Amino acid sequence: MENARNVPSGHLTLEPGKVIGLVGPPGLGLTRVGLSMLAASARTGPVVYLDVRGWMNPLAAWEAGISPERLVIVRCSDRLLWPKAAAALLEGIRAVYAEVPAGVREPVVRRLAALARSRRSALLLRPLGGDLPAGVAYVRYQGREVTWEGPDAGHGRLEGRRLMLEASGKGMSGIERVIEVEDDGADVVRMVSRLAVAPAGRVAG
Amino acid sequence: MRRPEAEVLCPGGTTLEQDHAAESLAFEPVASAVEGLVPRVEVSDPGLLFVPIDGAIRYYGGEGAVVANLARAVRDVAGAGGRIGLAGGPFAARWAAAVAGEEPFVVDDDRQFLASLDVDVLGKEELVATFRWLGIGTLGELASLPRPAMLSRFGQAGLHAHRLASGEDRRPEPRDLPEDPSVTERFEEPLVLLEQVGFAARALSHRLMEAMKENGVAPHRVEVSARAADGTVRTRVWRSADPFTDETLTERVWWQLRAWNESAGIPGGIVQLTLAPADLSGEGRQLTLLEDVSARIEAERAVARVQALLGPDAVLEGRPQGGRDPIEQVRWHRWGDDPPAFERDPGAPWPGSTPGPSPALVPPEPQLLEVEWDGGMPSRVRMRSRWEPVLNWAGPWRKLGRWWQGEGHVDRYQMVTSAGALLCELRDEQMYVIGVYD
Repeated sequence: MENARNVPSGHLTLEPGKVIGLVGPPGLGLTRVGLSMLAASARTGPVVYLDVRGWMNPLAAWEAGISPERLVIVRCSDRLLWPKAAAALLEGIRAVYAEVPAGVREPVVRRLAALARSRRSALLLRPLGGDLPAGVAYVRYQGREVTWEGPDAGHGRLEGRRLMLEASGKGMSGIERVIEVEDDGADVVRMVSRLAVAPAGRVAG
Repeated sequence: MRRPEAEVLCPGGTTLEQDHAAESLAFEPVASAVEGLVPRVEVSDPGLLFVPIDGAIRYYGGEGAVVANLARAVRDVAGAGGRIGLAGGPFAARWAAAVAGEEPFVVDDDRQFLASLDVDVLGKEELVATFRWLGIGTLGELASLPRPAMLSRFGQAGLHAHRLASGEDRRPEPRDLPEDPSVTERFEEPLVLLEQVGFAARALSHRLMEAMKENGVAPHRVEVSARAADGTVRTRVWRSADPFTDETLTERVWWQLRAWNESAGIPGGIVQLTLAPADLSGEGRQLTLLEDVSARIEAERAVARVQALLGPDAVLEGRPQGGRDPIEQVRWHRWGDDPPAFERDPGAPWPGSTPGPSPALVPPEPQLLEVEWDGGMPSRVRMRSRWEPVLNWAGPWRKLGRWWQGEGHVDRYQMVTSAGALLCELRDEQMYVIGVYD
């Protein structure tokens, strides 16, 4: 099946009014995947990173192709204020990357997704604890495995990574698919292959 | 005064259309004369030009000498009536010239000079009407208001007005483009006829603005450069307070080329035309003008609302600066404030800095990490309650501290574990996480 609109042949992209989920533990490379998705939107207007942990490093965003004057970072660690801040941003910002704090209730996330759809804002959700409610994400990318290239017992340096993502959701026509993403630290995160449809929970390739 | 009102007051009056091209032609000798004294003249409109005189003050030996020379040059080519204003920024200089009489008007303190001017000088009819409704009549009253409040209430337009009223002018936002953004057209047959020149001006302006739009920027200054058939090259910079649009740029290029053409400044016709943009602004977008403005205002209002909700220190922007660690390489500032000058030169070599790509997550404070070593090599790290094997590692990159002040050195490592890749530093025999490659 090659008709999934959110998985074009070259890059992972955002669409107005669509919610993308990035699910997986830190260290897999999902933040950089999300930032590279934001980069295209940043060419036509400001984009916002809603930073719950206060750990976001803008250097990675600049390397991903977002210009410094187009990136606004909003820090909000308060779980009660987070929905208000996210909703206020969706009222006017075309593309928002939002870390979702642990403990945010399901109806809140659903309401935000509905707001993003009605305002035609692209929303990337990155839950920090647990998963997104079922059906919220148009495409849900679950990080499965990462392979690093470069370091060799003290020699070399981190140069690139290959990340296995499991894509599912309405945007994938309901079919789970494993895709492989290559990130060499430049401003483009490339999707290098669309592997065969895999049963849930199993990494293909 | 609008035309119908004027016709009521003076029924026998004759209405003439403003001819910018003719004005530009008449103004060309003045621009050339000023350019003969001070380089980098920037024409804003026919009849109004800006001259940066920092260098000329040193060359001529003082402010007075420069102004006197300029006044003499203008008088020689255009007769009496020219007005010269001198100030720290273009906005104050423009209004200093407006209040100047026969003698040049020199402003010592831009903010003080601007404080007494009416808000009308901002030139934004709707915004000015709102200011008046709120009881703000002068730039001094406007400047005395808190800037965050202006930004929150009026968005970027209010911020810009506040900056002008405070004598700060527009904040330059130079942006790097991947390639040389200038556009050039060569003509096998020299362009002599005005129609040919007009067509070339339109086509090249359109090409430049399309290229700018692709990058989401628009220029505030454009250098128009024309090569004549005999090899003569004429160059002139046009500037605009608002970013150029396709239409405004075409007009200005056309006025300039017509002025050169009709004053015999391009002997034998034009064989090459180049437009080089400068002072790029992020205000240019791919959308239409109305969509662009409304989208920008919406975005600014949304961010201002969040700033009001979470506090000014929660909404931030960053700018790159030099440094050896990721946390040092970002200069943070509040959204809406001017970016501060960098503390560390980003152009310096910074030996010993950690190699890219940068970690996407950087803790505000280094996080203690328990590491198990085996023969001088890291073998396991403790993540919460679990021990994760180190699959591979690189480093160390050594950062020497100020040893003369008792600081020790720090060794940085990149470690790939089964739970992700980390940037760590070993300090005082203790390992800390300073970045996560997420």
